[in-house]
Amino acid sequence: MHVIEVNNLTKTYGSARGITNLSFQVEQGEIFGFIGPNGAGKSTTIRTLLGLIYPTSGNAKIFGKDCIQYGPEIKKEIGYLPSEVFYYDNMKVKDLLQYSASFYKKDCRKRIAELAGIMDLDLNKKIDDLSLGNKKKVGIVQGLLHEPKLIILDEPTSGLDPLMQQRFFDLLEAENKRGATILFSSHILSEVQRLCDRVAIIKEGKLIQLEKISTLQENNYKRFKLETKAPVSPDYFQLNGVNELKVEGTTVSFLYRGNVNAMMSKIAAIDLANILVEEPDLEEIFMHYYEKED
Amino acid sequence: MNLWIREMKAHRKSLILWCIGIVAMVGASMSKYAGLSMSGSGASMNELMADMPKSLQAVMGVGTFDLSKASGYYGAIFIYLLLMATIHAVMLGANILSKEERDKTAEFLLVRPISRSQMLTFKLLAALTQLVIFNLVMLGSSILLVNPYSHGESVNQDIMLLMVGMFLLQLLFLGIGLAIAGVSRYPKRAVSISTAILLFTFILSIAIDISGNIDWMKYLTPFKYFDAKHVMYSGGLDGRFIGLTALILVGSLILTYVGYNKRDLHV
Repeated sequence: MHVIEVNNLTKTYGSARGITNLSFQVEQGEIFGFIGPNGAGKSTTIRTLLGLIYPTSGNAKIFGKDCIQYGPEIKKEIGYLPSEVFYYDNMKVKDLLQYSASFYKKDCRKRIAELAGIMDLDLNKKIDDLSLGNKKKVGIVQGLLHEPKLIILDEPTSGLDPLMQQRFFDLLEAENKRGATILFSSHILSEVQRLCDRVAIIKEGKLIQLEKISTLQENNYKRFKLETKAPVSPDYFQLNGVNELKVEGTTVSFLYRGNVNAMMSKIAAIDLANILVEEPDLEEIFMHYYEKED
Repeated sequence: MNLWIREMKAHRKSLILWCIGIVAMVGASMSKYAGLSMSGSGASMNELMADMPKSLQAVMGVGTFDLSKASGYYGAIFIYLLLMATIHAVMLGANILSKEERDKTAEFLLVRPISRSQMLTFKLLAALTQLVIFNLVMLGSSILLVNPYSHGESVNQDIMLLMVGMFLLQLLFLGIGLAIAGVSRYPKRAVSISTAILLFTFILSIAIDISGNIDWMKYLTPFKYFDAKHVMYSGGLDGRFIGLTALILVGSLILTYVGYNKRDLHV
Protein backbone atom coordinates (compact mmCIF):
# COMPACT_ATOMS: atom_id res chain seq x y z
CA MET A 1 0.00 0.00 0.00
CA HIS A 2 1.15 3.54 -0.67
CA VAL A 3 1.27 5.45 2.58
CA ILE A 4 1.48 8.74 0.72
CA GLU A 5 0.23 9.16 -2.79
CA VAL A 6 0.62 12.55 -4.42
CA ASN A 7 -1.17 13.00 -7.74
CA ASN A 8 -0.45 15.99 -9.96
CA LEU A 9 -0.40 18.23 -6.95
CA THR A 10 -0.23 21.91 -7.84
CA LYS A 11 -0.20 24.82 -5.47
CA THR A 12 0.29 28.38 -6.62
CA TYR A 13 0.46 31.44 -4.42
CA GLY A 14 -0.42 34.25 -6.72
CA SER A 15 2.53 33.87 -9.03
CA ALA A 16 5.70 33.26 -7.06
CA ARG A 17 6.33 30.14 -5.01
CA GLY A 18 4.53 26.85 -5.14
CA ILE A 19 4.62 23.40 -6.64
CA THR A 20 3.65 22.23 -10.09
CA ASN A 21 2.20 18.87 -11.05
CA LEU A 22 4.00 16.97 -8.36
CA SER A 23 3.44 13.21 -8.29
CA PHE A 24 5.16 10.58 -6.19
CA GLN A 25 4.39 7.71 -3.84
CA VAL A 26 5.85 6.77 -0.53
CA GLU A 27 5.65 3.07 0.27
CA GLN A 28 4.78 1.44 3.55
CA GLY A 29 7.78 1.16 5.85
CA GLU A 30 10.31 3.17 3.86
CA ILE A 31 12.31 6.23 4.74
CA PHE A 32 11.71 8.62 1.92
CA GLY A 33 13.96 11.59 1.36
CA PHE A 34 12.62 14.80 -0.02
CA ILE A 35 15.45 16.91 -1.26
CA GLY A 36 15.70 20.34 -2.73
CA PRO A 37 17.25 23.74 -2.21
CA ASN A 38 15.49 26.34 -0.08
CA GLY A 39 12.27 27.54 -1.66
CA ALA A 40 11.92 24.48 -3.88
CA GLY A 41 8.47 23.67 -2.51
CA LYS A 42 9.26 21.02 0.09
CA SER A 43 7.42 22.73 2.91
CA THR A 44 4.56 23.66 0.59
CA THR A 45 4.11 19.99 -0.28
CA ILE A 46 4.23 18.92 3.33
CA ARG A 47 1.79 21.60 4.45
CA THR A 48 -0.61 20.54 1.74
CA LEU A 49 -0.34 16.93 2.88
CA LEU A 50 -1.21 18.10 6.37
CA GLY A 51 -4.16 20.19 5.22
CA LEU A 52 -2.72 23.47 6.46
CA ILE A 53 -3.01 24.83 2.94
CA TYR A 54 -5.19 23.61 0.11
CA PRO A 55 -4.03 22.40 -3.31
CA THR A 56 -4.83 24.54 -6.34
CA SER A 57 -5.32 21.33 -8.31
CA GLY A 58 -4.49 17.67 -7.99
CA ASN A 59 -4.76 15.74 -4.76
CA ALA A 60 -2.86 13.75 -2.21
CA LYS A 61 -3.82 10.64 -0.31
CA ILE A 62 -2.44 9.43 2.97
CA PHE A 63 -3.22 5.86 4.05
CA GLY A 64 -5.36 5.74 0.90
CA LYS A 65 -7.61 8.60 2.04
CA ASP A 66 -7.81 12.12 0.69
CA CYS A 67 -5.66 14.28 2.91
CA ILE A 68 -8.08 17.22 2.99
CA GLN A 69 -11.40 15.41 3.26
CA TYR A 70 -10.27 12.92 5.90
CA GLY A 71 -7.73 15.25 7.52
CA PRO A 72 -8.69 14.84 11.18
CA GLU A 73 -8.92 11.07 10.85
CA ILE A 74 -5.56 10.48 9.18
CA LYS A 75 -3.79 12.94 11.44
CA LYS A 76 -4.32 10.54 14.34
CA GLU A 77 -1.52 8.48 12.84
CA ILE A 78 0.76 11.28 11.68
CA GLY A 79 3.61 12.77 13.65
CA TYR A 80 4.96 16.06 12.33
CA LEU A 81 8.05 18.05 13.11
CA PRO A 82 7.97 21.50 11.51
CA SER A 83 11.09 23.18 10.23
CA GLU A 84 10.76 26.15 12.52
CA VAL A 85 9.64 25.26 15.98
CA PHE A 86 7.33 27.80 17.61
CA TYR A 87 5.29 26.80 20.58
CA TYR A 88 3.15 28.52 23.15
CA ASP A 89 5.82 30.40 25.02
CA ASN A 90 4.24 30.62 28.36
CA MET A 91 4.13 26.88 28.89
CA LYS A 92 6.47 24.41 30.48
CA VAL A 93 7.80 21.64 28.26
CA LYS A 94 5.82 19.13 30.30
CA ASP A 95 2.56 21.07 29.87
CA LEU A 96 3.06 21.45 26.17
CA LEU A 97 3.72 17.76 25.69
CA GLN A 98 0.69 16.85 27.75
CA TYR A 99 -1.41 19.30 25.76
CA SER A 100 -0.09 17.74 22.60
CA ALA A 101 -0.81 14.23 23.89
CA SER A 102 -4.34 15.21 24.95
CA PHE A 103 -5.43 15.28 21.32
CA TYR A 104 -4.73 11.57 20.89
CA LYS A 105 -6.89 9.07 22.59
CA LYS A 106 -4.10 7.13 24.20
CA ASP A 107 -1.88 7.35 27.24
CA CYS A 108 1.40 8.84 26.10
CA ARG A 109 3.04 9.56 29.43
CA LYS A 110 5.42 6.64 29.32
CA ARG A 111 6.50 7.43 25.78
CA ILE A 112 7.06 11.11 26.65
CA ALA A 113 9.36 10.14 29.50
CA GLU A 114 11.22 7.70 27.28
CA LEU A 115 11.69 10.16 24.44
CA ALA A 116 12.72 12.97 26.77
CA GLY A 117 15.30 10.60 28.26
CA ILE A 118 16.73 9.70 24.88
CA MET A 119 16.85 13.30 23.71
CA ASP A 120 18.13 14.57 27.05
CA LEU A 121 15.30 17.08 27.43
CA ASP A 122 14.42 18.78 30.71
CA LEU A 123 10.64 18.59 31.06
CA ASN A 124 10.38 21.19 33.77
CA LYS A 125 11.81 24.14 31.88
CA LYS A 126 9.75 26.87 30.33
CA ILE A 127 9.72 26.71 26.56
CA ASP A 128 10.54 30.39 26.47
CA ASP A 129 13.88 29.72 28.14
CA LEU A 130 14.98 26.98 25.77
CA SER A 131 17.70 27.30 23.15
CA LEU A 132 16.94 26.59 19.52
CA GLY A 133 18.33 23.07 19.77
CA ASN A 134 16.29 22.31 22.86
CA LYS A 135 13.15 23.66 21.23
CA LYS A 136 13.87 21.30 18.38
CA LYS A 137 13.99 18.46 20.87
CA VAL A 138 10.56 19.47 22.15
CA GLY A 139 9.47 19.32 18.53
CA ILE A 140 10.85 15.83 18.14
CA VAL A 141 9.16 14.55 21.27
CA GLN A 142 5.78 16.08 20.42
CA GLY A 143 6.00 14.57 16.94
CA LEU A 144 6.73 11.05 18.14
CA LEU A 145 4.89 10.78 21.44
CA HIS A 146 1.76 9.15 20.03
CA GLU A 147 3.70 6.48 18.13
CA PRO A 148 2.51 7.57 14.71
CA LYS A 149 2.49 5.31 11.65
CA LEU A 150 3.69 8.13 9.44
CA ILE A 151 6.36 10.57 10.54
CA ILE A 152 6.81 13.75 8.53
CA LEU A 153 9.95 15.75 9.19
CA ASP A 154 10.61 19.13 7.65
CA GLU A 155 14.32 19.93 7.90
CA PRO A 156 14.50 18.27 11.29
CA THR A 157 18.16 18.53 12.17
CA SER A 158 18.84 22.26 12.16
CA GLY A 159 19.99 23.37 15.59
CA LEU A 160 20.82 19.91 16.89
CA ASP A 161 24.40 19.20 17.84
CA PRO A 162 26.06 16.16 16.21
CA LEU A 163 25.54 13.94 19.24
CA MET A 164 21.83 14.73 19.38
CA GLN A 165 21.55 14.37 15.65
CA GLN A 166 23.00 10.89 15.99
CA ARG A 167 20.51 9.96 18.73
CA PHE A 168 17.69 11.42 16.70
CA PHE A 169 18.65 9.33 13.67
CA ASP A 170 18.90 6.21 15.83
CA LEU A 171 15.46 7.04 17.14
CA LEU A 172 14.09 7.39 13.63
CA GLU A 173 15.65 4.10 12.61
CA ALA A 174 14.05 2.43 15.61
CA GLU A 175 10.67 3.96 14.71
CA ASN A 176 11.15 2.74 11.18
CA LYS A 177 11.89 -0.81 12.39
CA ARG A 178 8.73 -0.65 14.46
CA GLY A 179 6.92 -0.12 11.16
CA ALA A 180 6.66 3.65 10.81
CA THR A 181 6.98 5.22 7.40
CA ILE A 182 9.08 8.38 7.33
CA LEU A 183 9.04 11.34 4.99
CA PHE A 184 12.21 13.28 5.55
CA SER A 185 12.65 16.65 3.90
CA SER A 186 16.04 18.25 3.85
CA HIS A 187 18.56 20.23 1.90
CA ILE A 188 21.43 18.54 3.71
CA LEU A 189 22.34 15.59 1.58
CA SER A 190 24.61 13.64 3.84
CA GLU A 191 21.78 12.97 6.29
CA VAL A 192 19.53 11.78 3.51
CA GLN A 193 22.30 9.59 2.17
CA ARG A 194 22.59 7.96 5.58
CA LEU A 195 18.95 7.37 6.37
CA CYS A 196 16.79 7.19 3.30
CA ASP A 197 15.86 4.33 1.02
CA ARG A 198 14.58 6.46 -1.82
CA VAL A 199 14.83 10.11 -2.57
CA ALA A 200 12.81 12.61 -4.57
CA ILE A 201 14.67 15.63 -5.84
CA ILE A 202 12.56 18.72 -6.20
CA LYS A 203 13.49 22.04 -7.70
CA GLU A 204 11.37 25.11 -8.31
CA GLY A 205 8.25 23.16 -7.45
CA LYS A 206 8.89 20.33 -9.89
CA LEU A 207 10.01 16.78 -9.37
CA ILE A 208 13.33 16.33 -11.13
CA GLN A 209 14.31 12.85 -10.13
CA LEU A 210 13.02 9.99 -8.01
CA GLU A 211 15.62 7.36 -7.33
CA LYS A 212 16.88 4.81 -4.87
CA ILE A 213 19.80 6.19 -2.92
CA SER A 214 21.79 3.12 -3.89
CA THR A 215 21.12 3.73 -7.60
CA LEU A 216 22.19 7.33 -7.28
CA GLN A 217 25.49 6.27 -5.87
CA GLU A 218 25.89 3.33 -8.24
CA ASN A 219 25.53 5.66 -11.13
CA ASN A 220 29.18 5.95 -10.67
CA TYR A 221 29.92 9.52 -11.46
CA LYS A 222 33.56 10.42 -11.21
CA ARG A 223 34.88 13.90 -10.91
CA PHE A 224 37.89 14.52 -13.14
CA LYS A 225 40.24 17.43 -12.67
CA LEU A 226 43.07 17.78 -15.16
CA GLU A 227 45.88 20.18 -15.70
CA THR A 228 47.29 20.02 -19.17
CA LYS A 229 50.54 21.38 -20.46
CA ALA A 230 48.97 22.97 -23.49
CA PRO A 231 45.47 24.44 -23.68
CA VAL A 232 42.86 21.99 -24.97
CA SER A 233 39.73 22.69 -26.96
CA PRO A 234 36.51 22.22 -24.93
CA ASP A 235 35.21 20.06 -27.77
CA TYR A 236 37.83 17.46 -27.03
CA PHE A 237 35.92 16.22 -23.98
CA GLN A 238 32.44 16.59 -25.43
CA LEU A 239 31.39 12.98 -25.35
CA ASN A 240 28.55 10.95 -23.87
CA GLY A 241 28.52 10.86 -20.09
CA VAL A 242 30.39 14.10 -19.56
CA ASN A 243 28.68 16.76 -17.51
CA GLU A 244 29.54 20.14 -16.06
CA LEU A 245 32.51 20.49 -18.33
CA LYS A 246 34.63 23.47 -17.43
CA VAL A 247 37.72 24.40 -19.42
CA GLU A 248 39.77 27.37 -18.29
CA GLY A 249 43.05 27.56 -20.14
CA THR A 250 44.97 24.53 -19.03
CA THR A 251 42.59 23.39 -16.27
CA VAL A 252 39.74 21.07 -17.15
CA SER A 253 37.13 19.65 -14.81
CA PHE A 254 34.02 17.58 -15.42
CA LEU A 255 31.78 14.85 -14.07
CA TYR A 256 31.89 11.59 -16.00
CA ARG A 257 29.60 8.59 -16.03
CA GLY A 258 30.34 5.71 -18.38
CA ASN A 259 33.14 3.44 -19.44
CA VAL A 260 36.28 4.50 -17.63
CA ASN A 261 38.57 2.94 -20.23
CA ALA A 262 37.21 5.13 -22.97
CA MET A 263 37.87 8.19 -20.89
CA MET A 264 41.33 7.05 -19.84
CA SER A 265 42.50 6.49 -23.39
CA LYS A 266 41.15 9.90 -24.30
CA ILE A 267 43.14 11.45 -21.48
CA ALA A 268 46.24 9.41 -22.26
CA ALA A 269 46.36 11.09 -25.63
CA ILE A 270 47.07 14.51 -24.16
CA ASP A 271 50.07 15.83 -22.32
CA LEU A 272 49.17 16.13 -18.66
CA ALA A 273 50.69 18.17 -15.85
CA ASN A 274 48.43 16.73 -13.17
CA ILE A 275 45.30 14.63 -12.75
CA LEU A 276 42.81 14.07 -9.98
CA VAL A 277 39.96 11.56 -10.17
CA GLU A 278 37.55 11.44 -7.25
CA GLU A 279 34.21 10.02 -6.17
CA PRO A 280 31.71 12.86 -6.09
CA ASP A 281 29.52 13.02 -3.00
CA LEU A 282 25.76 13.14 -3.35
CA GLU A 283 25.94 16.86 -3.02
CA GLU A 284 27.69 17.15 -6.33
CA ILE A 285 25.29 14.78 -7.99
CA PHE A 286 22.42 16.88 -6.73
CA MET A 287 24.03 20.14 -7.67
CA HIS A 288 24.21 18.65 -11.10
CA TYR A 289 20.45 18.07 -11.05
CA TYR A 290 19.77 21.50 -9.64
CA GLU A 291 21.78 23.23 -12.28
CA LYS A 292 20.80 21.13 -15.25
CA GLU A 293 17.51 22.89 -15.67
CA ASP A 294 18.82 26.40 -15.56
CA MET B 1 -12.24 20.18 25.87
CA ASN B 2 -8.45 20.31 26.21
CA LEU B 3 -8.49 23.25 23.83
CA TRP B 4 -11.07 25.07 25.93
CA ILE B 5 -8.95 24.62 29.04
CA ARG B 6 -5.84 25.79 27.16
CA GLU B 7 -7.63 28.91 25.97
CA MET B 8 -8.96 29.70 29.42
CA LYS B 9 -5.48 29.37 30.86
CA ALA B 10 -3.95 31.45 28.10
CA HIS B 11 -6.43 34.27 28.69
CA ARG B 12 -6.58 34.00 32.45
CA LYS B 13 -4.19 36.82 33.19
CA SER B 14 -5.73 39.22 30.71
CA LEU B 15 -9.24 38.45 31.93
CA ILE B 16 -8.22 39.10 35.53
CA LEU B 17 -6.72 42.45 34.51
CA TRP B 18 -9.89 43.37 32.67
CA CYS B 19 -11.98 42.48 35.71
CA ILE B 20 -9.81 44.65 37.94
CA GLY B 21 -10.29 47.39 35.34
CA ILE B 22 -14.06 47.01 35.52
CA VAL B 23 -14.19 47.28 39.29
CA ALA B 24 -11.80 50.24 39.24
CA MET B 25 -13.82 51.99 36.54
CA VAL B 26 -17.20 51.51 38.20
CA GLY B 27 -15.69 52.25 41.61
CA ALA B 28 -13.97 55.45 40.50
CA SER B 29 -17.07 56.68 38.69
CA MET B 30 -19.33 56.09 41.62
CA SER B 31 -16.93 57.73 44.07
CA LYS B 32 -17.05 60.82 41.83
CA TYR B 33 -20.80 60.63 42.14
CA ALA B 34 -20.46 60.40 45.90
CA GLY B 35 -18.50 63.66 45.82
CA LEU B 36 -21.17 65.30 43.72
CA SER B 37 -24.15 64.25 45.81
CA MET B 38 -22.47 64.91 49.14
CA SER B 39 -21.91 68.53 48.31
CA GLY B 40 -25.50 68.68 47.23
CA SER B 41 -24.37 69.90 43.89
CA GLY B 42 -26.15 67.14 41.95
CA ALA B 43 -28.94 69.50 41.00
CA SER B 44 -26.57 72.30 40.10
CA MET B 45 -24.60 69.79 38.05
CA ASN B 46 -27.77 69.17 36.07
CA GLU B 47 -28.17 72.88 35.47
CA LEU B 48 -24.56 73.22 34.43
CA MET B 49 -24.95 70.38 31.96
CA ALA B 50 -28.19 71.78 30.62
CA ASP B 51 -26.42 75.10 29.91
CA MET B 52 -23.76 73.39 27.85
CA PRO B 53 -24.17 73.20 24.10
CA LYS B 54 -25.86 70.04 22.94
CA SER B 55 -22.79 68.83 21.11
CA LEU B 56 -20.71 69.03 24.26
CA GLN B 57 -23.38 67.14 26.15
CA ALA B 58 -23.28 64.47 23.47
CA VAL B 59 -19.53 64.16 23.66
CA MET B 60 -19.67 63.84 27.41
CA GLY B 61 -22.41 61.26 27.04
CA VAL B 62 -24.87 62.94 29.32
CA GLY B 63 -27.85 64.47 27.52
CA THR B 64 -31.07 63.46 29.14
CA PHE B 65 -29.87 61.83 32.31
CA ASP B 66 -30.76 63.21 35.71
CA LEU B 67 -27.30 63.42 37.24
CA SER B 68 -28.62 64.05 40.70
CA LYS B 69 -29.83 60.46 40.83
CA ALA B 70 -27.48 57.47 41.09
CA SER B 71 -29.36 55.72 38.28
CA GLY B 72 -29.07 58.73 35.98
CA TYR B 73 -25.42 59.08 36.74
CA TYR B 74 -24.86 55.39 36.08
CA GLY B 75 -26.77 55.69 32.80
CA ALA B 76 -24.49 58.54 31.76
CA ILE B 77 -21.30 56.61 32.44
CA PHE B 78 -22.69 53.39 31.00
CA ILE B 79 -21.48 54.23 27.49
CA TYR B 80 -17.90 54.03 28.77
CA LEU B 81 -18.52 50.68 30.43
CA LEU B 82 -20.01 49.55 27.15
CA LEU B 83 -16.96 50.75 25.29
CA MET B 84 -14.76 48.73 27.64
CA ALA B 85 -16.86 45.60 27.22
CA THR B 86 -16.93 45.82 23.44
CA ILE B 87 -13.21 46.52 23.13
CA HIS B 88 -12.60 43.45 25.25
CA ALA B 89 -14.98 41.38 23.12
CA VAL B 90 -13.73 42.47 19.71
CA MET B 91 -10.08 42.04 20.69
CA LEU B 92 -10.78 38.67 22.23
CA GLY B 93 -12.55 37.50 19.10
CA ALA B 94 -9.82 38.64 16.74
CA ASN B 95 -7.02 37.53 19.01
CA ILE B 96 -8.18 34.09 20.02
CA LEU B 97 -8.13 33.05 16.37
CA SER B 98 -5.34 35.09 14.83
CA LYS B 99 -2.80 34.43 17.58
CA GLU B 100 -2.30 30.87 16.37
CA GLU B 101 -1.04 32.20 13.09
CA ARG B 102 0.74 35.20 14.60
CA ASP B 103 2.67 33.00 17.04
CA LYS B 104 3.10 30.26 14.43
CA THR B 105 1.30 27.76 16.61
CA ALA B 106 -1.35 27.01 13.98
CA GLU B 107 1.05 24.47 12.57
CA PHE B 108 1.30 22.81 15.95
CA LEU B 109 -2.43 22.82 16.61
CA LEU B 110 -3.87 21.85 13.26
CA VAL B 111 -1.69 18.83 12.65
CA ARG B 112 -3.55 17.28 15.56
CA PRO B 113 -6.53 15.11 14.77
CA ILE B 114 -9.09 17.91 14.97
CA SER B 115 -10.87 19.72 12.17
CA ARG B 116 -10.73 23.47 11.82
CA SER B 117 -14.43 23.65 12.71
CA GLN B 118 -13.87 21.74 15.92
CA MET B 119 -11.04 24.08 16.77
CA LEU B 120 -13.25 27.10 16.07
CA THR B 121 -16.05 25.71 18.21
CA PHE B 122 -13.82 25.21 21.24
CA LYS B 123 -12.31 28.64 20.82
CA LEU B 124 -15.78 30.13 20.51
CA LEU B 125 -16.85 28.38 23.70
CA ALA B 126 -13.78 29.65 25.54
CA ALA B 127 -14.48 33.20 24.32
CA LEU B 128 -18.15 32.94 25.35
CA THR B 129 -17.16 31.80 28.81
CA GLN B 130 -14.95 34.83 29.14
CA LEU B 131 -17.68 37.18 27.96
CA VAL B 132 -20.02 35.75 30.57
CA ILE B 133 -17.41 36.17 33.30
CA PHE B 134 -16.74 39.74 32.14
CA ASN B 135 -20.44 40.54 32.13
CA LEU B 136 -21.06 39.00 35.54
CA VAL B 137 -18.19 40.94 37.08
CA MET B 138 -19.60 44.09 35.51
CA LEU B 139 -23.08 43.29 36.82
CA GLY B 140 -21.84 42.41 40.28
CA SER B 141 -19.60 45.43 40.70
CA SER B 142 -22.31 47.75 39.34
CA ILE B 143 -24.94 46.46 41.73
CA LEU B 144 -22.57 46.53 44.69
CA LEU B 145 -21.16 49.96 43.92
CA VAL B 146 -24.27 51.83 42.74
CA ASN B 147 -26.68 50.71 45.44
CA PRO B 148 -24.88 52.46 48.34
CA TYR B 149 -25.59 55.80 46.63
CA SER B 150 -29.09 55.12 45.45
CA HIS B 151 -30.89 56.50 48.54
CA GLY B 152 -33.59 53.87 48.28
CA GLU B 153 -34.12 54.35 44.56
CA SER B 154 -34.41 50.96 42.88
CA VAL B 155 -31.55 50.64 40.42
CA ASN B 156 -31.02 46.91 40.11
CA GLN B 157 -33.59 46.34 37.42
CA ASP B 158 -32.13 49.08 35.21
CA ILE B 159 -28.64 47.72 35.73
CA MET B 160 -29.68 44.19 34.86
CA LEU B 161 -31.44 45.35 31.71
CA LEU B 162 -28.41 47.39 30.66
CA MET B 163 -26.22 44.34 31.26
CA VAL B 164 -28.37 42.22 28.96
CA GLY B 165 -27.87 44.89 26.30
CA MET B 166 -24.17 44.92 27.03
CA PHE B 167 -23.97 41.15 26.69
CA LEU B 168 -25.71 41.29 23.31
CA LEU B 169 -23.17 43.83 22.09
CA GLN B 170 -20.32 41.76 23.53
CA LEU B 171 -21.57 38.81 21.48
CA LEU B 172 -21.91 40.97 18.40
CA PHE B 173 -18.40 42.36 18.62
CA LEU B 174 -16.95 38.96 19.47
CA GLY B 175 -18.53 37.74 16.25
CA ILE B 176 -17.07 40.64 14.27
CA GLY B 177 -13.60 40.02 15.72
CA LEU B 178 -13.79 36.31 14.95
CA ALA B 179 -15.04 36.91 11.43
CA ILE B 180 -12.22 39.33 10.64
CA ALA B 181 -9.59 36.94 11.97
CA GLY B 182 -11.30 34.02 10.26
CA VAL B 183 -11.55 35.56 6.83
CA SER B 184 -8.57 37.91 6.76
CA ARG B 185 -5.64 37.06 4.55
CA TYR B 186 -3.49 38.94 7.01
CA PRO B 187 -4.29 37.53 10.43
CA LYS B 188 -1.64 39.71 12.04
CA ARG B 189 -3.78 42.72 11.28
CA ALA B 190 -7.04 41.21 12.50
CA VAL B 191 -6.86 42.83 15.94
CA SER B 192 -6.12 46.30 14.62
CA ILE B 193 -8.76 46.09 11.89
CA SER B 194 -11.44 45.01 14.32
CA THR B 195 -10.58 47.66 16.91
CA ALA B 196 -10.64 50.24 14.11
CA ILE B 197 -14.15 49.14 13.17
CA LEU B 198 -15.18 49.36 16.79
CA LEU B 199 -13.81 52.87 17.26
CA PHE B 200 -15.39 53.98 14.01
CA THR B 201 -18.83 52.81 15.10
CA PHE B 202 -18.32 54.38 18.51
CA ILE B 203 -17.45 57.75 16.99
CA LEU B 204 -20.39 57.40 14.64
CA SER B 205 -22.71 56.94 17.62
CA ILE B 206 -21.43 60.19 19.12
CA ALA B 207 -21.76 61.93 15.78
CA ILE B 208 -25.39 60.85 15.66
CA ASP B 209 -25.96 62.42 19.09
CA ILE B 210 -24.27 65.65 18.07
CA SER B 211 -25.88 66.05 14.69
CA GLY B 212 -29.44 65.05 15.50
CA ASN B 213 -30.13 64.85 11.75
CA ILE B 214 -28.62 61.48 10.94
CA ASP B 215 -30.75 59.41 13.23
CA TRP B 216 -31.26 56.74 10.55
CA MET B 217 -27.59 55.89 10.84
CA LYS B 218 -28.23 54.35 14.23
CA TYR B 219 -28.64 51.03 12.44
CA LEU B 220 -24.99 51.23 11.44
CA THR B 221 -23.56 51.53 14.90
CA PRO B 222 -24.22 48.88 17.53
CA PHE B 223 -23.57 51.48 20.23
CA LYS B 224 -26.99 52.91 19.41
CA TYR B 225 -28.78 49.57 19.55
CA PHE B 226 -29.25 49.48 23.31
CA ASP B 227 -28.71 53.11 24.22
CA ALA B 228 -28.91 53.58 28.00
CA LYS B 229 -31.48 56.41 27.59
CA HIS B 230 -33.86 54.18 25.69
CA VAL B 231 -33.30 51.15 27.83
CA MET B 232 -33.87 53.07 31.06
CA TYR B 233 -36.51 55.60 30.08
CA SER B 234 -38.41 54.28 27.10
CA GLY B 235 -39.24 50.67 27.32
CA GLY B 236 -36.14 48.55 27.67
CA LEU B 237 -34.43 46.64 24.91
CA ASP B 238 -35.77 47.26 21.45
CA GLY B 239 -36.87 44.04 19.73
CA ARG B 240 -35.78 45.28 16.30
CA PHE B 241 -32.26 45.77 17.51
CA ILE B 242 -32.18 42.42 19.29
CA GLY B 243 -33.11 40.91 15.93
CA LEU B 244 -30.49 42.93 14.11
CA THR B 245 -27.83 41.92 16.63
CA ALA B 246 -28.76 38.26 16.25
CA LEU B 247 -28.59 38.63 12.48
CA ILE B 248 -25.12 40.22 12.51
CA LEU B 249 -23.90 37.65 15.01
CA VAL B 250 -25.12 34.68 12.99
CA GLY B 251 -23.75 36.28 9.82
CA SER B 252 -20.31 36.77 11.33
CA LEU B 253 -20.21 33.24 12.71
CA ILE B 254 -21.10 31.80 9.30
CA LEU B 255 -18.40 34.00 7.78
CA THR B 256 -15.91 32.80 10.40
CA TYR B 257 -16.56 29.09 9.89
CA VAL B 258 -16.77 29.22 6.10
CA GLY B 259 -13.85 31.63 5.70
CA TYR B 260 -11.55 29.84 8.11
CA ASN B 261 -12.26 26.45 6.60
CA LYS B 262 -11.66 27.66 3.09
CA ARG B 263 -8.49 29.64 3.34
CA ASP B 264 -4.84 28.66 3.57
CA LEU B 265 -3.29 29.12 6.96
CA HIS B 266 -0.38 31.48 7.30
CA VAL B 267 2.39 29.28 8.53
